[in-house]
Amino acid sequence: MNFELDAVFIEDSERETALARRIAAAVQDRAPIENVADGRVPARAIAGADSFSAGKRRMVVMRRRTPFVMSCPAGSARFACCGYLVMVLASNCPMDCSYCFLQEFVADNPGFQIYSNFADAFEELERIAHRAPDRHFRIGTGELADSLAFDTMTGLSRELIAYFAEREKLTLELKTKTDEIGNLLDSDPRGRVLVSWTLSPEKVWRTSEHRTAPPAARIDAARRVLEAGYRVAFHFDPVIAYVDAEREYAELLDHLFEVIAPEKIAFFSIGGLRMTPGLRAAARRRWPRDPMLLDEHVLADDGRLRTFTPLRLKLYRIIADRFERAGVKVPGYLCMEAASVHERVFGAAPASPATIGERLARERERF
Amino acid sequence: MLWRRRAGMNGESDLAIHGATPGENIDESVRALACARHLPQPHLDRWLAMNERSRAAFLEIAQTLRLRTGQITAALELLEEISVRDATDCADILAAPEIARIRLHAGSAPARARELIETLRARRFPRLRETSTRLAGAIRELRLPRGISVVLPRELRSDVLTITVEVARVAELDGAIEALAARRAAIARIIEMLGGSE
Ligand code: SF4
Repeated sequence: MNFELDAVFIEDSERETALARRIAAAVQDRAPIENVADGRVPARAIAGADSFSAGKRRMVVMRRRTPFVMSCPAGSARFACCGYLVMVLASNCPMDCSYCFLQEFVADNPGFQIYSNFADAFEELERIAHRAPDRHFRIGTGELADSLAFDTMTGLSRELIAYFAEREKLTLELKTKTDEIGNLLDSDPRGRVLVSWTLSPEKVWRTSEHRTAPPAARIDAARRVLEAGYRVAFHFDPVIAYVDAEREYAELLDHLFEVIAPEKIAFFSIGGLRMTPGLRAAARRRWPRDPMLLDEHVLADDGRLRTFTPLRLKLYRIIADRFERAGVKVPGYLCMEAASVHERVFGAAPASPATIGERLARERERF
Repeated sequence: MLWRRRAGMNGESDLAIHGATPGENIDESVRALACARHLPQPHLDRWLAMNERSRAAFLEIAQTLRLRTGQITAALELLEEISVRDATDCADILAAPEIARIRLHAGSAPARARELIETLRARRFPRLRETSTRLAGAIRELRLPRGISVVLPRELRSDVLTITVEVARVAELDGAIEALAARRAAIARIIEMLGGSE
């Protein structure tokens, strides 16, 4: 994908790393490259009307100074959680979804950071796997950034795939809204890499998912990686309760199943649009004409604005029922919802986080 | 249209519509009312960002119903959100029959002002309103005896139904348990509706 960059900053100590070299070679004349002593400085918010947007166009290649692997930040005792581990290899994203939580989460450090010492994450993973040798872990890189945006430039996916292809108990999940799969098609994941796409109806894509690939292109990319030996999964998150949502989510699933047989789908997740008041204010400021930010939200007990419960759950059921009616048992889970909601949608109480995570990671045994 | 200044009920400056009005006059009147009501700047900006028809229409209703500061801010926010979501403009929203009726009918200005906010809220949250009404109807249908209440979560923000039983004697407890047991299926249905079943 061809995203705009205003500048690339490379930390002095990282100039000779393979990642920095690859990026510098790929950027060439597209943007000025500047060497800096400390990447945290250009990553900070700069004064201006929309420092978050500006941050997206300032790529910073730097060392990560804190651990790479952590529990998913969405996890909480309130929710039935999926036991996902997050590996932070980048922060911020060149695409610009109006509802994106990064607008609040990285508001103070919006520079698009890519961590050149990413191989340190592998050591952290070794330690985690060593501490629980019987467990399977699902590890994703798509929480604070899209996993594949700029992959053509960074080539990161190749190194990740090479590492995970050798790990029996670790499953990598690359989560994306792009169709940037070039590097995936000529790597062999040995069944240990899962590529997941967030899917929304065309209307949501048009109004709210700026610079992302259209939903049909994402589904087609999924078909291609599936044929190349990857497992695929889909996230219906955020589900937005606009006026035609019931019909259009059902149509989206119909299209998905036309292209990808349901039995080939490793799992799916569902989550409603949820915004803290701070995120909503930031999003409304940046996207004042976006109708998707204005569905019928109420302040829920967790302090987030969510679509009022019966409507939200009705939409979840439409998606879950579509999978159910497909006639194969595709595992599904809800993101950031209480166990009671899980039970209402899937008809059974959720497993414990460790069990869900493990089940999703182990799903490769089904293929 | 022409706008003329007149003394408000409590001595503050107020404005009324009279014939053809250039945009600057509307803005001047909007600013004067905002100043009189100590309207915070972001809300004034929101008002001034409307098209001329909408600015004037809201000015008219704000004056007619003598909206208080909090009501002006709430109405501006609701109008803006409805206009974005429904791709319409504020003047058209305010011209809807249910709002025209509030503007024109007799009754005290404060009562009509409250009704305006309620009407805008209903338009902003139509499905919430419809679902809440349906659920409230189902609760009424239970015809619960005194001492038992079934309460919906506020703004349907969760899927938890609250059932309260007030008893002072064991016999009342037995009666309440019996009453609830007799209504079990209907209450179960309400719980299902809270979870999104039609
Ligand atoms: S693709 Fe994901 S990370 Fe990027 S802007 Fe959209 S929601 Fe945010």
